[in-house]
Amino acid sequence: MSYRRLFLLALLLAVLGAVRPTHPVSAGDEWQPISQEELKMASEPKAPGAPAVYLYRQVDRDDNTHTPHEYNYARIKILTEEGRKYADVEIPFFKEEGDIHGIKARTIRPDGSIVNFEGKAFDKTIVKAKGVKFLAKTFTLPDVQVGSIIEYHYTYDLHEGYVYNSRWILSEELFTKRGKFSLKPNSDFALRWSWPAGLPAGTAAPKDEGGYVRLESQNIPAFQIEDYMPAQNELKFRVDFVYSDGIPEKEPDKFWKKEGKKLNDRVESFTGKRKAMEEAVAEIVAPSDTPEVKLGKIYAKVQKLRNTSWEAEKTEQEQKREKQKEINNVEDLWKRGYGDGRQINWLFLALARAAGFEAYSVYISSRSEYFFKPQIMNAFELNGDVVLVKLNGKDTYCDPATAFAPFGLLSWPETGVMGLRLDKEGGSWVTTTLPPSSDSRIERKADLKLTETGALEGKLTVTFSGLEALWRRIEERNEDATNRKKFLEDQVKEYIPVGIDVDLANQPDWGSSTPTLVAEFDLKVPGWVSGAGRRALVPVGLFSAPEKHAFEHAGRVHPIYFSYPSTKIDDVTIDLPLGWQVSSLPPVQGLDAKAALYSLKAEDNKGTLHVTRRLNMDLLMLDQKLYPTLRNFFQVVRTGDEQQIVLQPGASAASR
Amino acid sequence: MWRVLLCFALVVMGCLAGVPPCAAGDAPAWMHALVSAPLPAHDEKTDAVLLYSERIVTVQSADKFKITVREAYKILRPGGREYGTVTVSYNSHSKITGLRGWCIPAQGKDYEVKDKEAVEISLPKVDGSELVSDVKDKLLRIPAADVGNIVGYEYEKELQPFVLQDVWRFQEANPVREAHYTLQLPAGWEYKATWMNYPEVKPAQSGNQSQWIVSDIKGIKHEDSMPPWQGVAGQMIVSFFPSGGSAQNQGFQNWKQMGIWYQGLTSGRRDASPELKQKAASLTASASTPAAKMKALGEFAQRDIRYVAIELGIGGWQPHPAAEVFAHHYGDCKDKATLMGAMLHEIGIDSYYVVINSERGSVTPETPAHMGGFDHVIVAIKLPDGVSEGSLVATAAHPKLGKILFFDPTDELTPFGQLSGALQANYGLLVTPDGGELIALPELPPAMNGIQRTAKLNLSATGTLSGEVQETRVGDRAWSQRWALRTVTKDTDRIKPIETLLSHSLATFQITKASVGNLQLTDQPFLYNYSVVAQNYAKPAGNLLLVRPRFVGNKSSDLLETKEPRKYPVEFDGPSRDSDSFEITLPAGYEVDDLPPPVNADYSFASYHSKTEVNGNTLKYTRTFEVKELSVPLSKVEDLKKLYRIIASDERNTAVLKPAAH
Repeated sequence: MSYRRLFLLALLLAVLGAVRPTHPVSAGDEWQPISQEELKMASEPKAPGAPAVYLYRQVDRDDNTHTPHEYNYARIKILTEEGRKYADVEIPFFKEEGDIHGIKARTIRPDGSIVNFEGKAFDKTIVKAKGVKFLAKTFTLPDVQVGSIIEYHYTYDLHEGYVYNSRWILSEELFTKRGKFSLKPNSDFALRWSWPAGLPAGTAAPKDEGGYVRLESQNIPAFQIEDYMPAQNELKFRVDFVYSDGIPEKEPDKFWKKEGKKLNDRVESFTGKRKAMEEAVAEIVAPSDTPEVKLGKIYAKVQKLRNTSWEAEKTEQEQKREKQKEINNVEDLWKRGYGDGRQINWLFLALARAAGFEAYSVYISSRSEYFFKPQIMNAFELNGDVVLVKLNGKDTYCDPATAFAPFGLLSWPETGVMGLRLDKEGGSWVTTTLPPSSDSRIERKADLKLTETGALEGKLTVTFSGLEALWRRIEERNEDATNRKKFLEDQVKEYIPVGIDVDLANQPDWGSSTPTLVAEFDLKVPGWVSGAGRRALVPVGLFSAPEKHAFEHAGRVHPIYFSYPSTKIDDVTIDLPLGWQVSSLPPVQGLDAKAALYSLKAEDNKGTLHVTRRLNMDLLMLDQKLYPTLRNFFQVVRTGDEQQIVLQPGASAASR
Repeated sequence: MWRVLLCFALVVMGCLAGVPPCAAGDAPAWMHALVSAPLPAHDEKTDAVLLYSERIVTVQSADKFKITVREAYKILRPGGREYGTVTVSYNSHSKITGLRGWCIPAQGKDYEVKDKEAVEISLPKVDGSELVSDVKDKLLRIPAADVGNIVGYEYEKELQPFVLQDVWRFQEANPVREAHYTLQLPAGWEYKATWMNYPEVKPAQSGNQSQWIVSDIKGIKHEDSMPPWQGVAGQMIVSFFPSGGSAQNQGFQNWKQMGIWYQGLTSGRRDASPELKQKAASLTASASTPAAKMKALGEFAQRDIRYVAIELGIGGWQPHPAAEVFAHHYGDCKDKATLMGAMLHEIGIDSYYVVINSERGSVTPETPAHMGGFDHVIVAIKLPDGVSEGSLVATAAHPKLGKILFFDPTDELTPFGQLSGALQANYGLLVTPDGGELIALPELPPAMNGIQRTAKLNLSATGTLSGEVQETRVGDRAWSQRWALRTVTKDTDRIKPIETLLSHSLATFQITKASVGNLQLTDQPFLYNYSVVAQNYAKPAGNLLLVRPRFVGNKSSDLLETKEPRKYPVEFDGPSRDSDSFEITLPAGYEVDDLPPPVNADYSFASYHSKTEVNGNTLKYTRTFEVKELSVPLSKVEDLKKLYRIIASDERNTAVLKPAAH
């Protein structure tokens, strides 16, 4: 059942409802008993160094009443001065959904004496617009010291008949010693629940007990944020509840068949204009075109259509003035020349079919947001779509709705993900292509001269390929030439570990869907050569800055996640000043760790230094246990990049 | 967080589907008059230009101002689209009416939006900000805010002023073509206008109305480490004086008057309750000297009183009563200063409020007395005769009060007796029973803020360096580490600042042992002690071994490695003195073949000295970097750039080892 339908039902219930009863606070006004152990506690061995911990959390939701409500209880032990900030409490809520009532709060000093909160909870308007009021109840607790326990409880009263999907977030900013959760589902709907990121160690799965779904958990770790981590949503322990009509489908296969049929009907209903599409195809391709050429032409044509999903959001006045007509099918889109991203893809699907290709719409789940698991049976997570075309017997995934994506390349969140390939039977699961690291490259070719003052000067050409080109074009799509120039120059500044002068010398092709984006620069690196008495030293890692601080910390909590496999290839030539000699070259550096490869070689070609470097990362996700191996790999990279070429300057330079 | 909220508000604006739009109307004549106006001078990086701004201040009485604002921008680049979102602040003492916005597109009809389409927002809970405040913003999104189009808006604000003053901030990040300020006073009233960072402009006078016009004002582009905005932007500060000077809230002729106003605002607020008296007595009972007593009270105010700001109306200026602050154990900067003053009074020591700006340079001796210059309150303590503890260094001699000690009860990581760099050499309003005066705060010696690193290391023939490092930090350098560790949420993360430091200098390293000393003892130096192993530290080159004597730590900066010439002075955080001493025992079988030269760079604002020596089989690197002046004027910025390059070069210099001759 859609959210909209649920909402309408809620409205209906509201109309039918009698006078709103005042319900008692579900867990009463009583406070939970406090133990001496809690009072004396100075630290939590399972969360060493924590500023504060939840001693107890409770969430009780009752959806099975005209006046749904959620009771929340929190008891927090303050362990450090920093932890006192948890005494500032803000409870945000949407006024259209309900209101916060019955706030009670108190501070328990370490000696057990109690200071009740008797002040006022301030009403804060965080955002207020027509039809939207996002408010907060804000208060702070008195006399909070290290060692204090603070606790508060309140009830979130939802409007009459207001029923919607909810969730229990178990992973909070603070460690939780004990948590207790319950939900009394609305009996008019079927309820399904899942815990996609698993449950804390030792926690039993939530169970339906006498009309309540219940869960108790202990020792829930605090959630931590790290670099290179997957979407937070995928790592937080949580329980998601989804209401639906009728009897919920328990078999994933059957669930997805049913969902797939619904989605397929929607696609077929939009694309079912065979004749119009055949006429359109005839305008795009020539009969003599090979299948590759035909499909490429269709792709290029469709991608050039106006895609409203990529346009800056317009105000209502602008939309009215533009008088855009609703696009109901591919024929409308073809005639009017615009549509949103999904409609654009469906047009491509229809044209490909009309051109004789076997083609399917594939609903996928973007891995920037979800790590899709079909057994969870959450159709909301299929939040994107691509088109699968059989080209010369090979599966080719296309997404002409992604601006600047070359034919056959998907944006990175769409690569290597499960998708539901739709057909009238409901469909089947496929996995989209993940381009190898060699397809997403940054190639840096520098032709430089070393000046007698130790600076490098010359030309640099950077070629971005595949996904490396695509994300840059997307990011800069709304910028002007001045900003794009700065963007590229800043990228070069990020590559080189010292201050540089860099000037973009060409006009890169920002507007096309070609596989590469080429930028040329005039480059000057002052003081690149360092002194060693009579000798001069040239570090070999000119473009080594991004790796300098990668994975610098020894500890790691979460898996390491890369957006896509990629390769960096550097080719640097340095002409030496007249009379300068190469005294020694560093040995060839290299480490092939299969999923990651590094090599670096420095050569002396009769007065010209030649340094080549390659860094392949064929990784997407790495288990946290393998973090030391990854860290070690990058330490090898940094060691290699720090090698130096020893030069003997000419007589005049040496004297300086 | 604020950005997130703004985004959310913009999304809400975008989602107001189904709300009928206002009837579109033409932009007003004042905007159409700008369509063919010449643009002020600008470069290709300018996002937008302010074509016209107008601020009309009508003083209706001492309790009521009416301010009309009109502004129009021409959007030149995509970044200028943000000027299509109008933000107007107000609070419980002011009301916004008649908010309207327009767009004159390069092609097509004008757009108009009205007040009822505005979104109202206020700041959610953010660490370090007000927990509760009555300040809100109205956001109005103007349609078609695109490159080439002109967007403009106007509104009226009615307010009950806390004081009879207004500030005209006519200079901004973008170039300004023309800005008008009109002042309409009741009969018999007078005003005093003071210009800051811009030559004075005389007004056109007509009866009780005065009008100022400035044009072709350059935009102020942000530069890192530049002086604060208030210290560089053109503005006019106007105070109003009713006939007969009867109003309580009249403008300030001078700092003395502002001090009197603040004195009135805080009157009675430092009265102690019995519980507070008892607490002051118990806190100081075991202290044997006045200095020890003051320190005990200071640490209580800093640490036991939690920072919580609840600012409603005049509450942005007026502190809560000391008794209340004590009872709740929380308060903001002025509350903490109030409590501190009350407790000092209990032990017979006088103290005074010092109203200040937390960014040095915002208020200078040239600044006229006005409210807008300040954002913080600290305490000046009149030191009793005979108190001369060496730890009390943040002192100044006052002609009437004698020796006074400045103390910031909000800054819980700066020990009693010292001041953070931002407050040093700053100017604050000292509030005494006689009124107020703008006074200079002391500048502490560079040695009171610095890092002293010593390392004793062994180098193996395979290039591995290992040994012990000790780091001693004082002043702001200690503050920053204590702050970083204070917000660490688990023990294992305490090592991260060291890892980050080492990663800037070492390709490969393992920390085998580490400890933190004096984390809580803020009156003691902060200590790091750690053991480190760095493989491949020395690089082989043929039969040579290349060793960088500078083991860790970076003093150089690429702050001035920019394409565009610097426009503003460089401001340092505070005076400082850092020193390194690294001893590397060389591997057997090697001797030094070549050493980097010593560096001696002396400038008026800073100095850098380094040298590498050989003592037997030990390579010793020592250096000091001292910041002597807090501001580097434009005329010396090239010298600073040169200094940073010298340091960078020294930091990369290498010693060459060769096989020892047998």
